[in-house]
Amino acid sequence: MGWMQEKTQERLLATAAAVLAGLLLWLTIAWQPELPEAPLPRAAAPSGGDFVLESATGPVDLRSFRGRLTLIYFGYTYCPDVCPTSLAATSEGLKRLRPEEAAKVAMLFVSVDPERDTPARLKEYAEFFHPGIVGVTGKPEELASIARRYGAFYARQAVATAGDGYVVDHTSDTYVVGPDGRLLGKIGHATPPDEVVTIIRNYLKQN
Amino acid sequence: MKKVSLLFSALCLSAGAWAGAADQITVQEPYVRLAPPNAPATGAFMVLKNNGDKDVKLLKADNPASKVTELHNHINDNGVMKMRPVAAVEIKAKGEAVLKPGSLHVMLIDLKAPLKEGDSVPLTLSFDDGSSKTVEAKVVRPSAAVAMPPMQHQGHKH
Ligand SMILES: [Cu+2]
Repeated sequence: MGWMQEKTQERLLATAAAVLAGLLLWLTIAWQPELPEAPLPRAAAPSGGDFVLESATGPVDLRSFRGRLTLIYFGYTYCPDVCPTSLAATSEGLKRLRPEEAAKVAMLFVSVDPERDTPARLKEYAEFFHPGIVGVTGKPEELASIARRYGAFYARQAVATAGDGYVVDHTSDTYVVGPDGRLLGKIGHATPPDEVVTIIRNYLKQN
Repeated sequence: MKKVSLLFSALCLSAGAWAGAADQITVQEPYVRLAPPNAPATGAFMVLKNNGDKDVKLLKADNPASKVTELHNHINDNGVMKMRPVAAVEIKAKGEAVLKPGSLHVMLIDLKAPLKEGDSVPLTLSFDDGSSKTVEAKVVRPSAAVAMPPMQHQGHKH
């Protein structure tokens, strides 16, 4: 065995050792024994729940809507297209309900942009879509906590051409709260009016 | 408003002499959604039909009623709706581009004065070959627009 060969062997050994060490390290860190059969716990489903927010005519307590199916939409009046699209479709659905059905349904428009949306401004905006929609808002931290509980999300984004230099990206589902105050589900963004009617009727039948 | 629109159409008659992409595009049912009170912006919607055999890009839209006019699209990012400017709207040869709520649209930002139902807004559409055309977009209540969506050609995924 020549000197060169010995040297190569040494090198090979060193490489092998390094690879083994790496593998061991990887095993310790990354390798997990077979996953348990039971499904992993999922992120907690949104719980919804009561809140009190401010409207043009004073505080609005969600508890005062007990006995009715209550729809809750999170948005803001500067919203150029998302809110009008969703509110137009939902309120058109509400208008297609029979009077006895409509009497059992309420709707809240929660502004997540309290800096610009005063309760008075919200009232005009919400009633434009449907006279029954109540516009409410509150302190940023209250709104954040309510949105989190309902599974809604929103975030400010700087946009030069937008009023005051920002828009608020936001989820556009309408949450459905049962007559007992429980969060029952949601109506997806821009669901056409006829489907809104069907969904509301189904909830009314179940409750 | 009327005066502005008259002046505008007069200006556009001269511009209309320029033939090109504008001639092969038909604009169907253009309308502006009546902005809710206190909303500083609104959208204009329409179906752009390309009757020619060349792809056309809509690059710009202008109107005298708002300070800024932009072409926009919606991005649904995991349920979070985002609206962002787009550089162009592609209208394929023998195809169409549908501008509708919650999708591609012309954004009228910073309305100079509140629009009224029944008003008409001249929208000037400029295409990638330099040609342009102006269409009159009626101002429509959102609920009416929802009740009668402008031709649902594009199959809704249900
Ligand atoms: Cu837009």
